[in-house]
Amino acid sequence: MTRIARRPLTPWLLIVPSFALALFVIGYPLYNIVFQSVHEVSRFGLIRGFCGLDNFRKVFADPIFMASLWRTLWWTLGVVGGTVLVAVPVALILNQDFYGRGVARVIVMLPWSVSLTMTAIVWRWAFNDEYGMVNVTLQRMGLIAAPVHWLATSTLAFPVEILVGILVSVPFTVTIFLGGLSSVPVDIYEAARIDGASGWQQFRKLTLPLLRPFINMAIVLNVIYVFNSFPIIWVMTQGGPSNGTHILVTYLYEQGFRLGKPGEAAAVSLVMLVMLFAITALYLRIQPREGGEA
Amino acid sequence: MSIDRRKLRRSLVCWAALAPLVVIVLFPFAVMFFTAVKPADEVFVYPARWLPSTFRWANFSDMWVATRFGVALENSLIVSLGSMLLAIAVSVPAAYALARFPFRGKGAYRQFLLVTQMLSPILLVIGLFRMAAMIHWHGSNMVDKHISVIVAYAAFNVAFAVWMLSSYFATIPRDLEESAWLEGCGRARAIVKVFLPLAVPAMVVTAIFTFINGWNEFAVVYTLIRSDANKTLTVQITDLVAGRYTVEWHQVMAATLLATLPVSVLFAWLQRYLVKGLALGAVK
Repeated sequence: MTRIARRPLTPWLLIVPSFALALFVIGYPLYNIVFQSVHEVSRFGLIRGFCGLDNFRKVFADPIFMASLWRTLWWTLGVVGGTVLVAVPVALILNQDFYGRGVARVIVMLPWSVSLTMTAIVWRWAFNDEYGMVNVTLQRMGLIAAPVHWLATSTLAFPVEILVGILVSVPFTVTIFLGGLSSVPVDIYEAARIDGASGWQQFRKLTLPLLRPFINMAIVLNVIYVFNSFPIIWVMTQGGPSNGTHILVTYLYEQGFRLGKPGEAAAVSLVMLVMLFAITALYLRIQPREGGEA
Repeated sequence: MSIDRRKLRRSLVCWAALAPLVVIVLFPFAVMFFTAVKPADEVFVYPARWLPSTFRWANFSDMWVATRFGVALENSLIVSLGSMLLAIAVSVPAAYALARFPFRGKGAYRQFLLVTQMLSPILLVIGLFRMAAMIHWHGSNMVDKHISVIVAYAAFNVAFAVWMLSSYFATIPRDLEESAWLEGCGRARAIVKVFLPLAVPAMVVTAIFTFINGWNEFAVVYTLIRSDANKTLTVQITDLVAGRYTVEWHQVMAATLLATLPVSVLFAWLQRYLVKGLALGAVK
């Protein structure tokens, strides 16, 4: 220990490169976004002058923004809620001892390995009206009589996108839950069984409470990821048809890089950041106090 | 050798319960494969069919030329390998510090990493683009340069890499290094001789995951890279689909399959380390 005490600088020197890199790449753009959000910025990025909160006013006056804001809420709730509902039973199953468990784990994890962009491209093709394999398969099984126009209206396209969002979020969430389940001691289940607790009672009274911190963590991390998720909606519908599937990130990208309104896009970024900080503040409150900082 | 009857029954129940998810997970892979091997004139026939009349493997070589797959593949490799090396180079020392030293500001540094995880690239993309446009680089600026994408990816991977690495490093017994000191080995030498050899597996696994992250990323490279010659696979393939009247779906699916499969195999092989690493990090 004396060696460590003599060199209090060493850990700081070890941390500096990563800290500098992250601060540089994340700090400057953050400052720049704040700067652009209170300035009038031309299509080509020229700063025309200070304009106070005009950009924010314009954004909040845009009905598409307000619709996207609400839709982001549904998107996040839908994907995160659906993911947790699917991932808890899947993790419980994968935690059992059964033949082929290794293969099952690999299959469940697969969507994580594929780029969201590629997943979105494949599903966009699979949901094609006449030639897509979803309609073909459903027709063969006799579940639908005629091809469904999945992506032609936002009322269908948006739920479809939520389902794809759930599919790609399940592996990460299952991973967290498996980590949680592996830290649960086995003998308490044996004790419960001896006391005559049913499977459902064991789940309600033992597994769920032990899993709760991991469920909380999975919810918050997923909320952050899903809230920021760009490729699925951008590739499948580009926010259309008639702006009916925009969420805040796709709206932001369209404002900034398609409609040439960087100032307003920066304002949207900041609004989203404030929302994210609120979520994280909540996370830090529900997270149990960390024990000794080893 | 007798098969455990109870375990067999449990296996059937487990697989039956997982079946719907397994089907949905494998569905896109089947779509990719069967579309990729269809002759072009069978892709758009109504009613559509799953199976092609003949497996047309030449689709892959046609696609390679038509989509300029080779260039995009090379760009993806440059960007992913570059960001992997940079991210690991800065994260290993930081993770070592977190795993081995008690120091003031450790909690604050962890919080900082959490915040960087939260600020996803897409939120900062407006500012990132401005930054790249402002920095002078070889008589021009950093827009449309691989190096800017590499630096950005590395920065956004630091939190993940430090988390994974430090949780693995913490499982490497400290006594080994300490006994090396007692034998007159300096701290730096002890790290090189004793610690690093044991840490190599964790570093390799983490490196591969940062590689996969770079390989799969979309928003940053979509924004920062402008010219066809510098586009990576995700952007190149998206451009084949986005805003087009006619999409050559058999070629697109051949391209997505080729871009996806190697990474999926790599990931399938390594996913158990991810489960372990994230779990260790979470428990700590």
